[in-house]
Amino acid sequence: MQYLFSVIHDQADLATPDEHAAIDVFNDRLRAEGHWVFAGGLTFPEAATVIDNRGEETLVTDGPFLESKEYLAGFWVIEAPDLDVALKLASAGSKACNRKIEVRPFR
Amino acid sequence: MVAALTRRFGDLDIAEEAAAEAFATAVERWPADGVPPSPGAWLTTTASRKAIDRIRRESKRDDKYAEAQMLHGNIPPEPPGAIDDDRLRLIFTCCHPALAVEARVALTLRMVGGLTVPEIARAFLVAESAMGQRITRAKAKIKAAGVPYRVPSAEDLPARVAGVLTVLFLVFNEGYLATGPDTDPVRHDLTAEAIRLTRLVCALLPEDGEVAGLLALMLLIEARRPARVSASGELVALGEQDRGAWDTALVAEGHQLVRELLAAAAAGAAPGRYQILAAINAVHTSARDMRDTDWSQVLALYDQLVRLDPSPVIALNRAIALAELDGPEVALATVDRLADTLAGYHAYHATRADLLRRLGRSQESRAAYDKAIELAGNTAETASLTRRRDQLG
Repeated sequence: MQYLFSVIHDQADLATPDEHAAIDVFNDRLRAEGHWVFAGGLTFPEAATVIDNRGEETLVTDGPFLESKEYLAGFWVIEAPDLDVALKLASAGSKACNRKIEVRPFR
Repeated sequence: MVAALTRRFGDLDIAEEAAAEAFATAVERWPADGVPPSPGAWLTTTASRKAIDRIRRESKRDDKYAEAQMLHGNIPPEPPGAIDDDRLRLIFTCCHPALAVEARVALTLRMVGGLTVPEIARAFLVAESAMGQRITRAKAKIKAAGVPYRVPSAEDLPARVAGVLTVLFLVFNEGYLATGPDTDPVRHDLTAEAIRLTRLVCALLPEDGEVAGLLALMLLIEARRPARVSASGELVALGEQDRGAWDTALVAEGHQLVRELLAAAAAGAAPGRYQILAAINAVHTSARDMRDTDWSQVLALYDQLVRLDPSPVIALNRAIALAELDGPEVALATVDRLADTLAGYHAYHATRADLLRRLGRSQESRAAYDKAIELAGNTAETASLTRRRDQLG
């Protein structure tokens, strides 16, 4: 099963050098254990643009889709046999990047 | 049987529906056809057929391989250990930490306890449709998120067992709070159901002291039920209960369990909170009269408990024991320190009121009783608190 780990943050700061180092260790472990699919850190939410082309005209809006204090700072896509494994990995990931993580299964 | 079907078909919904249909068929057919020689096997076989039918109806092209796997597996005849394993797996799945606590409670009562949705809804004073949705969503999450159907590994077991015990104690407390002659009888049944399920978990995990501790605690609390509510519907405090009305069999069983736990503790096993709470209740239920209570033992146990769980409610209960040994003034000092955290808790004000009364500070006591009554709302406790306040004169 594949899971999306969404990294949730509520401040403007990026990862510290210590957090970067811990994330690298965590990523190495994901690869070694066969869980790694993809991962990435995202730029600050103000760099986002929302496109809505459901109607007649394409609407372009500056900023993230949700106006909120908490925002998506990065993510992992991992492969795990069940939720218990995914939650254990997310626990390690949360400790490593020092942020909250939402674990959500892919369909 | 639901547990075995869940193991075979990997789906709580299918297992539950198939089991229900098999029972319904039995109810229809057995009165006319006679009970089959092996009713358990008949039910399991019938339920499996119905589950397979449903899977066939629902399976899509790309699921054919998975379907074939499920259809060709067999449910082997169950040696005793296997049934227990299935039930354990079911309990741990229903109590998975990824589910909200209220979902765990509802799912456990439905899947392990076998209560109907209307019964569970009535027990928790929730609309039937809302309770049905809660259970449906919990099952959907288990399926979609890939909650595994298994007993947790040894390193995860303590935390996961704690989760199960939390659910069971919540069910017990929900039944315990249902007092008074007008209460829906289903709510009374909750304590019995909680005890039954805890006995089951105890039998399945005989080495776990906390499970036995919770069972002992429940038995010793339930033993006092006949004396807890007066004829007029008032809640009777421990000190005023007719101890002759206590259920001696439950007390005896509770004491036996506590003795065994104490022996294990002496051999080095560190007691958890349920074991300590059970021991406290054992000290209380060993006394013929409130005055005979071994308060220094109670206090020593609370000292142990506070180290494990620094919650203010435990500190409050410890203070009540402290009052018996060091007097109400010392106890009041410790209680007053809890003002910030417990200001909204009626028992905090009731405790203060009692201590102030014993110190002869009637006006302050009255004010504290007023606050306690206001916060207690419309429960059997209100009548008892009102009477005490009015007795202040």
